[in-house]
Amino acid sequence: MNETDPTPPPIPASFADDVPLGENPRDRDPITNVPGVIEALLRHPRRIIFHLNQGNASGRIIGLLLAVALVLIAVYGVIVGSFSGGVQWWAAPLKITAGLAATAAICLPSLYIFTCLSGSTAQLGEVTGALGGLLALATLLLIGFAPVAWLFSQSTASVAMMGFLHLTFWLVAAGFGVRFLRTALRRLGLQTESGLNVWVVIFLLVSLQMTTALRPLLGPGENAPLLPRSDDKKFFLVHWADSLDSPARR
Amino acid sequence: MSPIENSPGRRSAELGAMLRGEAGVLAGWVAEAAPGRTWRQAGIILVGAGAFGAAMGSWRAPEQAVFAAVKLPGILLGTAVGNALLNGLLAPLLGINLRLRASLAAVLTSFALAAAILGAFSPLMAFLVWNLPPLAPGHPETVGAHNVMLLTLVGVIAFAGVTANLRLLQLLRRLGGGDAEARRILFAWLAGNLLFGSQLSWILRPFIGSPGLPVEFLRAEAFHGNFFESVFHTVRQLWTDF
Repeated sequence: MNETDPTPPPIPASFADDVPLGENPRDRDPITNVPGVIEALLRHPRRIIFHLNQGNASGRIIGLLLAVALVLIAVYGVIVGSFSGGVQWWAAPLKITAGLAATAAICLPSLYIFTCLSGSTAQLGEVTGALGGLLALATLLLIGFAPVAWLFSQSTASVAMMGFLHLTFWLVAAGFGVRFLRTALRRLGLQTESGLNVWVVIFLLVSLQMTTALRPLLGPGENAPLLPRSDDKKFFLVHWADSLDSPARR
Repeated sequence: MSPIENSPGRRSAELGAMLRGEAGVLAGWVAEAAPGRTWRQAGIILVGAGAFGAAMGSWRAPEQAVFAAVKLPGILLGTAVGNALLNGLLAPLLGINLRLRASLAAVLTSFALAAAILGAFSPLMAFLVWNLPPLAPGHPETVGAHNVMLLTLVGVIAFAGVTANLRLLQLLRRLGGGDAEARRILFAWLAGNLLFGSQLSWILRPFIGSPGLPVEFLRAEAFHGNFFESVFHTVRQLWTDF
């Protein structure tokens, strides 16, 4: 008879734990490579937050988080591009990766300002790392959704339907990313969250507008300019309404 | 100024202390009124408000971006310096024994904080401009886009201004006055700065520019009339129309 306990070990308390950072010995386990970052993001985010709080040593973690986010979003971009094929095989991943990087760069200064205004003593590097964690976790989840997105891409011809699907995946993924960011910033001394809530709205608005500013991301790209013409700028809600009205197919 | 005093780490720590409103630290700065810190705060105003002005002006034309990048920090610095004497006189009269340099340092600290917030929002403003239809005469969407731009500007500037003044109020309380004295001085300083700053803004217009008018650093009629006269005429016009 097998006497080993079939119950899997409990997942370490990662989000709701009140133990100070570093007191749990697992917090101090080094993170040296990409699998380590992914493992920590999913199972022990306190490790990432602890290492972000370690001054100069946090540079490597920040680099790893951002690299993971950029590579994973590029992979997801290929899935997005597979809907129409042709030019979109390379244009969609390129634009989606550039769009995510631009969104992060545009929103980082205001995140730092809101963090400080909310009483945190976090340095710019720590805030950058927390944002990198948001992006890495969100893109990791997008990769989890990728098979579903690919399946729909191959069996659906409606641009509006695929747009809605990708949007839903992004909002779910970003929601988990924001949860990581919130936890990280609390650990870094955030005292009130109203400023962070405002920033989350700004971040989501910028990311959604980026999908319109860099269109077409879905639909055939052969006869469309790589980016919208200067006289064809639109607010994303207007663009979505137009997309719903048009019979655009891949 | 020693290299350590001007190191990026120290500058970042100072910026963080300003943003968090660490009243004890800020009160020490005001009492000390060190020239190095004054220059650094002026630098924050130049960079932060300059970046915001550039983002705002870039909607009209690249030249307008440069003009606004010069003029917006000019308003903040001009108001701080132009009202330094008045603010320095009002502080002891209204209950806090601040010297002239200390009152200038307090006002400059709050302006630097506002400029840092404006600077942090300048990438967002630039992104907004990139997504707006061009500011061109006869363009059907220009009016709607202008309203969006105006609303965003008012929102961001109000947020920066309110935050900076709340921090200034905390600082004034810390500098030895009670709550009533701090409020009185803040109100007096605000009134003086509003009077001076609004007229300076009026003279230095345009910041975004109008699609029907040429891009220029100052309007030909810059020194004709004043801000409050214009508001009065606008209100009277509205009254007549309705």
